[in-house]
Amino acid sequence: MGNPSRHHIVIGSGVAGSQAAATLREREPDSRISILTLSSLLFYNRYDLPKVFRGVRDWREFLVQSPEYYENNRIGVRRLNRVAAVDSARRVIVLDHKEEVAFDTLLVASGGRGYVPEELTDYRALMHPFSSYTEALRTANALPEGGHAILLGGDMIGLDLARTLIDTGHQVTLIADDHAFWPHEVEDAERAGFLAALDHMGMRVIDGRAAGGIAAVEAGAKGLSARRVALADGSEVRGDVVMPFFGLTPSVEFMLGSGVDIERGLLVTPGLRTTDEAIWAAGDVCQIWSDEVHRYRFFYGWKNVRAMGELAARNMTGADDPWVSVQDEHLRLTPEGAIHSPFWEYQ
Amino acid sequence: MKAMSTDIQIAICGSAGDGTIAAGEILRNVMAGLGYKVIAFDVYPPEIRGFGKCIARMRVTTEQAYSLKPQSDVLISLDDSHAIPHVGEVRDYGAVIYERGSIVQLAEGGHISAHVRPAQLPYAVPLRELSEKSTSSNRSRNIVALGFLAGLCGLQEDTFLNALSRKFKKKPEVAESAQSAFRAGYAESADTFKLDDVVFGPVPKAPVAAGSAVEMMNGNAAVVRGCLDAGIENYFGYPITPATSIMERLALEMPKRGARLLQTEDEIAAISATVGAGFAGARAATATSGPGFSLMTEMLGLGVIAEVPCVIFVSQRGGPSTGMPTKTEQSDLHIAVYGGHGDAQRIVIAPTNVEGCYRCAGKAFEMAERYQTPVVVLLDLYLSNRYETVVFPARPPFAPNQSKAPEKDQLGDAYRRYALTGDLISPRTVPGDKDGMYVATGLEHNELGRPNDQPQNHEAQSRKRHEKLKAALAHPDFTHYKRFGEEGAVDVGIIGWGSNFGECLEAMIKARAEGIRCAAMKVVMISPFPVAGVTGFMDQCREVLVPEVNYEGQFANVLQANVGRPVARLNRVPGAPMAVGDILEEVRRLAARARRGHEKAAA
Repeated sequence: MGNPSRHHIVIGSGVAGSQAAATLREREPDSRISILTLSSLLFYNRYDLPKVFRGVRDWREFLVQSPEYYENNRIGVRRLNRVAAVDSARRVIVLDHKEEVAFDTLLVASGGRGYVPEELTDYRALMHPFSSYTEALRTANALPEGGHAILLGGDMIGLDLARTLIDTGHQVTLIADDHAFWPHEVEDAERAGFLAALDHMGMRVIDGRAAGGIAAVEAGAKGLSARRVALADGSEVRGDVVMPFFGLTPSVEFMLGSGVDIERGLLVTPGLRTTDEAIWAAGDVCQIWSDEVHRYRFFYGWKNVRAMGELAARNMTGADDPWVSVQDEHLRLTPEGAIHSPFWEYQ
Repeated sequence: MKAMSTDIQIAICGSAGDGTIAAGEILRNVMAGLGYKVIAFDVYPPEIRGFGKCIARMRVTTEQAYSLKPQSDVLISLDDSHAIPHVGEVRDYGAVIYERGSIVQLAEGGHISAHVRPAQLPYAVPLRELSEKSTSSNRSRNIVALGFLAGLCGLQEDTFLNALSRKFKKKPEVAESAQSAFRAGYAESADTFKLDDVVFGPVPKAPVAAGSAVEMMNGNAAVVRGCLDAGIENYFGYPITPATSIMERLALEMPKRGARLLQTEDEIAAISATVGAGFAGARAATATSGPGFSLMTEMLGLGVIAEVPCVIFVSQRGGPSTGMPTKTEQSDLHIAVYGGHGDAQRIVIAPTNVEGCYRCAGKAFEMAERYQTPVVVLLDLYLSNRYETVVFPARPPFAPNQSKAPEKDQLGDAYRRYALTGDLISPRTVPGDKDGMYVATGLEHNELGRPNDQPQNHEAQSRKRHEKLKAALAHPDFTHYKRFGEEGAVDVGIIGWGSNFGECLEAMIKARAEGIRCAAMKVVMISPFPVAGVTGFMDQCREVLVPEVNYEGQFANVLQANVGRPVARLNRVPGAPMAVGDILEEVRRLAARARRGHEKAAA
């Protein structure tokens, strides 16, 4: 039944964190459960964000659960709370506004944020990221009807958005680089075929590798397109928005100094426990030990992330189950000549 | 198509010295300037700085509203320790705006974000940082917050910048600094998740009579305007919360008009001088609160027996004694109506809103002169400090000199200052009037004003002093009482007085929306009591409810003493306005009882 004085804290209100909170409540009706999140909104599915281009702008439409759900289930949600540090010795989380919150068990499900290669970080201000509701709205406001979006990189989140953009009458140019199709691992031999499929789906595809990479992103001069992307080979692309899709990088900065082992993400056992017995991790933030490949690896996709949230919560409340991937990770070509990714299935 | 109506309540909460009330003042002035109707009420502590809680609440509407709402749409926290208890007052999908950071270590739950419910929208703003960046000081956090709110709600930046410029027109450097802070807050909102559930709709063009002016002010300011428009000539007072601002404002205005104001050494001196000025024929007034009025009651008796016109404004606060100086209460009704020695009935009127403060203030001078008696105008802290948009008439609706002058044949040796006339109001002279020897005495007197304690004389003069006041029940152009809501027979009638009537009216409107047959009556003239009007209303009510912000049910006592019928009482002493929900709940209960009565009668 749980102990009312036992406090489970979940950092992150995405798929993994929200699923974990729900499972924790299911398994321990009496424990205290708190979600700490940077988001100003309650849990919404970021896979739904392309809907903004279909005219869905009301944030309520994106919420997965109503506010009453959290109140009825006594799941505290502290929004706009940035974690500054985790003091594992004292079992305390230090928030950016200098408040300390004690925990008995902690699940880090802070996810990942959009990665931008170092050579492009200077151009961040000219790009329209697409990882939150606010960013999605901002992009939708910046892209005129029938406007032209330039997608950089080409991860599967971006390609999912590209499908919607094309479907809603926008032009899409993809400047593909090594991150194209991330997190799928695509062999060089397959790459050209998949890129051609994107072209078939209505995108203009520029192989950034062949063009020598991106040289600069600039704001367009008055009377011209809002953005200009210059390639190393001297060619250029003009459009209304430039959107980075280079995969995700785990949000783990606040865990530095906590004492748990970190590589790119938090290193966890197959049971999703970190090197601290009270701290667990789930979702895009963790690397799970795989006996199969004898290394820590990330597991992506909505289904995997949700399953990790559930597993972590189970193990935090007494179970001892190992991680088993539930996500098909193979990119395929459809008979119609388009690509299909199981990462796009998220219901 | 009906235009979208606006009904938004904003609360700003901070510690004394945070600029909470100042931010509220700027916001409400801007909103009133844009044409919205505004009701605002500030709560502040007795301490001057650094301790107590301040809350500025305002309700901004396009339709007329009568009280603040129990729930706000937006709460701005300038001090979490004070604001946290008020987070629960923010409605679902309303916003809580607060300081993102903290300069001190906080224990768990010490930050307001821990208390924002899932159904509320949090806005963490670096108020301190933006204030420091824009003004080199952290003292403009309130203005930064205001800018953020304005941006969040899509209000025009220029309107506020102009308002700041006007507010600080004598200190351009302060205006510039405030504008910088406002711009910083406004810009911060640009990249923020929008508050689309709190939208200020268009302001309907309300027809205003030619020459009329729409202004926003609080009850005390309206009293001052009423005094000035009625031609006040002398004011004597001693400061006391919440009446002080009446004297402060009059002190600025009266000298410009050749009138005189004196701050006396205490309340006894103030009432003495006021009665003295009335004796001399001037329109004279004083203002105080309960403790001060206690000191005035002896001289009030002199005013009654000497039949001297004068006006006493009493703004009630939590009592007894020093009590709760900055909290509201309606607990001085007994002393206003009955306080003092001897049979000393006086006129007591109690406005129910800010416009009423203006009208009652002016009319009080008319009544004092016409009926030759002290007139008490009962306010309270809620009304004194409550801001409303008021439509002022093109010309002041107050009659000059109402004194009944003697005819020529009544002067000279024949002059009888206390003549028992048909209307029981005697011809009155003032010192200096030729052939009208002026007499004013605290001793019982005969018609000539000579001491006389004979039984028949005392009977006659006592009757005169009481019965003459009944004419005030028909005083022209004055709303003695008024019925609102459903006509004819109803299940529940609410009778309210003073500042609390706004809450009564809101409860009545809500009850009617629920299908309850309900009406409300406000009673402005409390002494003499309008028995016929109130009885007529009660005759049509199966149940009568009297809500009051006092413990004893003082108005209900007066009502019952006059009409001789029981009423249901609802008494609260929270130091704050009564909750509309409390009244509504009682109305529902009484309506259910009334229905059972109908059913029983039918059976």
